Amino acid sequence: MSTLAAIGETPRACRDCLRRSWLIGRLTAGLDYKCTDVPRLLDLLALDDHQLLHALAGTRGTTLKVEYAGFDPRQVPRRGGVESICCHDRCYPLASEDPGAPRMLNVSGGLDKLGELAERPAVAIVGTRKASDYGVEMARSLARGLAASGVTVASGLTDGVAVASHSGALEAGAPSLAVLGAGLDAACPPRRRSLFDRLRGNGCLLSELPCGCEGRRWGALAGERIVARLCEVMVVVEADESPRELAGASIARSLGRTVAALPGRVTSPGSRGTNALLMGGARLVRGAQDVLELLSAGSRSASISEHEVLGRLDPRLAEILESVGAGSDTPGKLIGSADDAGEVLLALSELELLGLLTRGDGGRYLPRGSLSWPVRSAEDPAAHGGPPAAKL
Amino acid sequence: MLARAHTFTIEGLQTRHVTVEVDIRRGLPAFTIVGLADAAVREARERVHTAIVNSGYEFPGRRITANLAPGDVPKAGPGLDLALACAVLAASEQLPPDRLDTHALFGELALGGEVRPCNGALAVAQAARERGLKALVTARGCCAEAGLVDGIEVAVAERLSSAVRVLQGGAPDASSAPLPRTRACAGEVSQPDLADVRGQHHAVRALVIAAAGGHNSLLSGPPGTGKTMLAQRVPSMLPTLSGREAIEVTRIRSILGSAPRELALRRPFRAPHHSITTAGLVGGGQRGWVGEVVLAHNGVLFLDELSEFARRTLEALRQPLEEGQIAIARARHAAVYPARFMLVAATNPCPCGYAGEGDRCGCSEAELTRHRRRLSGPLIDRIDLFVPVERETNNELNAVPLTSSKTARERVVQARERQAARLAAERVSLNAHMDASMLGRHVHLDTKGEAMMRCAREQGLLSARAQHRLLRVARTIADLNGSRRVRARDLGAALALRPEANLTASRTA
Repeated sequence: MSTLAAIGETPRACRDCLRRSWLIGRLTAGLDYKCTDVPRLLDLLALDDHQLLHALAGTRGTTLKVEYAGFDPRQVPRRGGVESICCHDRCYPLASEDPGAPRMLNVSGGLDKLGELAERPAVAIVGTRKASDYGVEMARSLARGLAASGVTVASGLTDGVAVASHSGALEAGAPSLAVLGAGLDAACPPRRRSLFDRLRGNGCLLSELPCGCEGRRWGALAGERIVARLCEVMVVVEADESPRELAGASIARSLGRTVAALPGRVTSPGSRGTNALLMGGARLVRGAQDVLELLSAGSRSASISEHEVLGRLDPRLAEILESVGAGSDTPGKLIGSADDAGEVLLALSELELLGLLTRGDGGRYLPRGSLSWPVRSAEDPAAHGGPPAAKL
Repeated sequence: MLARAHTFTIEGLQTRHVTVEVDIRRGLPAFTIVGLADAAVREARERVHTAIVNSGYEFPGRRITANLAPGDVPKAGPGLDLALACAVLAASEQLPPDRLDTHALFGELALGGEVRPCNGALAVAQAARERGLKALVTARGCCAEAGLVDGIEVAVAERLSSAVRVLQGGAPDASSAPLPRTRACAGEVSQPDLADVRGQHHAVRALVIAAAGGHNSLLSGPPGTGKTMLAQRVPSMLPTLSGREAIEVTRIRSILGSAPRELALRRPFRAPHHSITTAGLVGGGQRGWVGEVVLAHNGVLFLDELSEFARRTLEALRQPLEEGQIAIARARHAAVYPARFMLVAATNPCPCGYAGEGDRCGCSEAELTRHRRRLSGPLIDRIDLFVPVERETNNELNAVPLTSSKTARERVVQARERQAARLAAERVSLNAHMDASMLGRHVHLDTKGEAMMRCAREQGLLSARAQHRLLRVARTIADLNGSRRVRARDLGAALALRPEANLTASRTA
């Protein structure tokens, strides 16, 4: 759909919902100013239009009220490829009676695809922006495994865990749902641009804000509340203990969603939040298989278990893989004596070619989440590159 | 009367032949020098005049015109003094002119008539031999390095009168002992030794591979882990300079006057600070001044804190890394200088330096991306080996060093001999300089190696250039292990040491 064709066309969302979205777009600076903590933001977003105007319009109140009264849906800026859907539509993916949920969503990537993705079981993968290489790799392998098993992956589009989970899902060739904290035409940092374009082509981008609305701090938090509503299970991969990083988990818990977390090192600040969640009763997951078990609809035969993969491996490689998993993750630590240097390096390279190891920062090797070996059915492994041991 | 003398001037790293023509005729006393002379040459009038008088000769009180031919070459430096003085003496019939046609003269004159040494005597001796001249008359301080050139007689003249004696057919002054031509007489030169490095076995092994094949390498690791210490020990693993290389290095040093006048035995190790400008690194500027890449010719160029260098400066390294020479073109000057060096770069993995150290790194994704982008893609593309330097645990710090420089050098020399024997028919002698067609002729993988290559290609781990790099490194590892074929374990080790494909990109997007 070209940009020109989109203008003048009547949007699919109704006037009231469009007006709500427009209003939030106009009040975005006020929201940023007033949202001192997460509960306050959620309370504000649950207010109706008039209360919201009263609470946030400030000195612009009179002007905004006049504009509000005379709102015309055609004045909302529209972009090519962006469609809108409101809570009065049968296909709306979020529960319509929920007062905290946005009343409408702008969608890039097609409403049909959104419907298709929303019908499947969905898992949100969330976490810190300052992810370690461990967090990035775990988010990626989790998303890859889940996407390969036919589960929809949903997340924000912030740095770190969220971006890694989308790229993991795309690696498995499956679309994912990304919720933006800004208008769908907002500028995207160059490091994420290629992912953004791939998601627009292959996945779905969602935003409650109208086009032309730039990103604010509260936007990403408000996005978490949409992610929490889209999913059945929310997995926190890495997060510190700040309320901001644990916002998604607390919203998901208040909505009755299953909250799961990946354990991390006790000493790592990036895992304090997830470890605290686990202490507080969140489900512990170690990989895609565990998440699939949490999802009632998950197909258990979808992934090959770690045991099977290790069983098929050459014992020489299996030993190295286990040592890497146990923390001897650099060649320096793995090579005991001068004689086996070549053998160890060969084994590391073979494991990397098999997709069981990847290289992290500073020459370290990371296990690539063998639990989620991306094979759709155990009976036909040849369709996805063959069983690991047969490759070399 | 007219007289001619031969001398040479130095432009950048090149020598240009200069004929000094002196004509003396009747007229008011005057001494004029024409022919694009710089300030130092123009001042030669006073030195030549006084030196001639103080040496007991007569300075003709007539009209003297000196022409420095060819007229379009700028002449620089005081090395032309001796030739000017002798031409004046010949033109005033105080000196028989016949030997001036076969002898080159090179030296600065002092007011008392002594001859002083000048920079670049080695280059001048080479040029004089190529010109077909029989002898070079020069100062005592220059005779040792000029004596390194075969096929030309070097006559020492301590004073102007000695030069006149030589030109009259007399004996030159006693020369100092010629420079030792082999390492054996020079003895071992002391330099930092690998035996000082405790632990870091993986990094040391990787650097031995880099030294053996002349591969460019990148050391990456947290601050304080010994990246600089390791890099400084790379020259000690390299074989000493061969005869031809030693002459090349000595010639560059001699022209720049940057080292004592002796034959270079150690490979140059240049470690410019990261605030260096592009002209400082590759050359250019006044009179085509040479840069660090030329000074590192046949040696090691070490760039510490690679990500702190200006991006444009690093980009300028692409041509020398690829071709082993640098072409400088400036408004008045264009030249091609040799610059075949081994690049050793060091960098922190992230701005704070602690990425991959578990919990200590506090850099955001944006900071990491910015840091990686500073290491420009094309430069990283020319780096063959990625050497992770990790923080050693305490007991390993006390561990024995992996090897000493002497042992490592013996292995490197053996590996280099194997390479040279295999590449005898090619124009290169090191694995790192093999091009794609040579790789096809000289690198043969075994079946498992082929399968691994195919697998890596299919997974998109390797670009075409990365495959070539990998094969070069694998060939060097096989050479170090003394095997004729490249076995799977050589390829596996090369694969584990390859630069990260995502070194310049974001981790996730």
